[in-house]
Amino acid sequence: MQTAKRDIAVSMTGISKRFGPVRALENANLEIARGSILGLVGQNGAGKSTIIKVLAGIIKPDSGSIVINGEAVTSLTPASVEKLGVHFIHQDRLLVPTATVGEAVFLGHEIGLGPFVSRRVMERRAADLLKRFFGMELPAGTLVKDLTTAQQKVVQITRALAQKASVLVLDEPTAALVKREVDSLFDVLRRLRDDGIAVVFISHYMQEIEKLCDRVTVMRNGTDVGTVDPRQTPIDEIIAMMIARDVGEMFPKRSVELGAPVLEVSNLRLGGSFENIGFNIRAGEIVGLTGLLGSGAKEIVQCLFGLKTADGGEVKVEGRELSLSTPVKAVRDGIAMLPEDRRAHGVALGLSVRENISLASLRRYSRSGMVSRGAENQAVDGLIKELSIKTPHRDALVRELSGGNQQKVAIAKWLSCQSRVYVLDEPTVAVDVGAKVEIYNLLNRLAGEGAAILLLSSDLLELVGVCDRVLVVYRGRLAGSFSGPAMNSDALLAASSGARSNIDGVAA
Amino acid sequence: MSVSANDNNSAKVSVRGFLAKYSVLIAFAAIVIFFAIASPTFLTPANLFNVLVNNVVMLAIVALGLTIVISSGGIDLSVGVSVDMASMIFVMLLAAGYSGVVGVAGGLGAALIVGILNAILITRLNISPFLATLGVLFIGQSTQQLATSGGQPIYLTSGYAADQFNAIARTALFGIPTPVIMLIVLALAVHLLLHRSVFGRYVQAMGAQPGVAWYSGIRVPRELSMVHVLCALLAGVTGILLSATVKSYVPLSGNAFLLDAIGATFIGTTLSRERKPSVIGTLLGVLLLAIVKNGLLLVGWNFYWQQVGIGVLVFLVLAASFGLRRAAH
Repeated sequence: MQTAKRDIAVSMTGISKRFGPVRALENANLEIARGSILGLVGQNGAGKSTIIKVLAGIIKPDSGSIVINGEAVTSLTPASVEKLGVHFIHQDRLLVPTATVGEAVFLGHEIGLGPFVSRRVMERRAADLLKRFFGMELPAGTLVKDLTTAQQKVVQITRALAQKASVLVLDEPTAALVKREVDSLFDVLRRLRDDGIAVVFISHYMQEIEKLCDRVTVMRNGTDVGTVDPRQTPIDEIIAMMIARDVGEMFPKRSVELGAPVLEVSNLRLGGSFENIGFNIRAGEIVGLTGLLGSGAKEIVQCLFGLKTADGGEVKVEGRELSLSTPVKAVRDGIAMLPEDRRAHGVALGLSVRENISLASLRRYSRSGMVSRGAENQAVDGLIKELSIKTPHRDALVRELSGGNQQKVAIAKWLSCQSRVYVLDEPTVAVDVGAKVEIYNLLNRLAGEGAAILLLSSDLLELVGVCDRVLVVYRGRLAGSFSGPAMNSDALLAASSGARSNIDGVAA
Repeated sequence: MSVSANDNNSAKVSVRGFLAKYSVLIAFAAIVIFFAIASPTFLTPANLFNVLVNNVVMLAIVALGLTIVISSGGIDLSVGVSVDMASMIFVMLLAAGYSGVVGVAGGLGAALIVGILNAILITRLNISPFLATLGVLFIGQSTQQLATSGGQPIYLTSGYAADQFNAIARTALFGIPTPVIMLIVLALAVHLLLHRSVFGRYVQAMGAQPGVAWYSGIRVPRELSMVHVLCALLAGVTGILLSATVKSYVPLSGNAFLLDAIGATFIGTTLSRERKPSVIGTLLGVLLLAIVKNGLLLVGWNFYWQQVGIGVLVFLVLAASFGLRRAAH
């Protein structure tokens, strides 16, 4: 069959892989055609990254066969796969920050005489390639760390092209890009497709899949459940394939009686970032906070958790005034924080699920300084069950969980602490659709239990769908407070770009 | 791929995993057997007693402190200074006619000052543990030379309280030498602290991901200060034991412990899948180093060749553990 279709670059059939008791791949198939862009979607844990790692030679499959360019390959290694023309742009495998563009493009394939590399030749050749493929001109000797994230992606792609790539696999390439950069990356990918290169594009963003891909393969529970044309299949249908149930309401409805104010912020200011910020959040209320990059919205959240010290103003939790100078005090005063950078601040990957969940509340499970394992295990098991965290057991390392489940561990840490105020900083970035819905449900439940929730997000649909009220920050000041029918993404966008303001109802 | 082939494969993998996990224990057993055959005196009670009291106890106590520091993600290059300072003050006080209690308190106080200095440099001035303790190491060495007119030892003559200490070092309880009992008590305490207490959990969190510890409301500077103070105090205990054993203070003798203690702690990390230091691992590492040194001495290798032997051993244990584990993965 593989030989019949000459335009198939890579064909993986019947791939299975187990990690201990966890079934990562079960009889999964993936077919990549030349001159076409294939989308690969699925929830975290569906097996997307595992099948890609199998193709990259990083993971050895238990069974199955792989044919690359008509040639059956038995044992793949990262080096042999590159020789076959299959290249990977990994999500978080970054370039060496202190290397020059030339060094980065020819990393592992340095040009030179014997052991000596000729940096000048590499710079010139890299500049030629960048100009020829992407029309991009960079000053000679530019360092990787001085490039934007989008330019770094382009350098990574150029490295692949310099090695005569015939298959290019991109894992979440747009996660850190702004819209304009995404558009130019898409142009690059389309041009490569027209040159006959096979492109695989992994993304959580359905709009991108719809816009870019010729075909999309959907994975669920370690196997491929179908390949469709995204231009002719409604997004809802693709999402339904991913989660095997009707999406119905992405944003679950709820009705909560609002209680007394839990968080009261007044006249908060931080020099150079924001001033005169005041708002209340009542028990059971979910308040959104948004603003463009540099608007000061992020710094407001950081001040509330003591990561930055405000220059002035007042913050009260349940009527008690707080001195927010460090996270230590914020945690003691009942404020929980879900940071944006999950791997650096949210969960410790090298610690177990148990150690992560109990970290902020150890005192509750200890007597005279010694941890009581029984009490800790009981609480941790309860939370694993409650949040349906997918983990082999409580002592598994958080590193082994999928992104959505890692985020649930980060949330469980604060549930275990019984915090009163939850501050969430972009909680659903790089989290798949299914886990997103679960996180929204969780927020609703916390609100239902009387917590006050502040959700900082740049996803306007998410804010409109989840929040009771959304505050918009523009140039360091509150530019609007929207609720009810006035709360829609157009209004939020207009307010965050300064085009319109709506200061009614902004609490003093 | 048939089922039986698969089973065979996984069996092979788990054998490799077993070898990787217990490479220290296997090396340990192999070395004991080797020296038992090579030297008739190796397994005699007198020799084992000598190894334990003179080679194991003092090194192990320093290594216990380093185990705490390395667990927190840091390092203490100034443990030798803590040993020396405790030793110096202890001997000076005793030589000046003070009682043993005052001597011990003064010695531990001197080590405490080294620990507090490290803590201030690391948590207040935000200097990395490596550089901060390296600076303290330089300062500590010079201080000793200045205080002893260029490095003259101070000897304790008889009649001082030192005699009592020296006697204690030679007594035994139920046949176990007193210093060994001290080590067991300290090791048990550090084990509970590191693996069972709230403080220990914070230390592990700081070592695994300092950002997460800070974002979880842990008082990172305070806990980190405690880590360095404890390490210095444990090194101080060794300093006092050293002086009590040799009835003197020899400037700059503490540094001999630094590299061995670091080596022992890292050999110990091979016991854990995540390469975390542990008290049991460290003790095994210390025993391994001590036995190799003693064994090589008994079979007639000189001091310099002993160092070569230890270097090769550290390589072998770490390489076996790393290599086999990668193959098993």
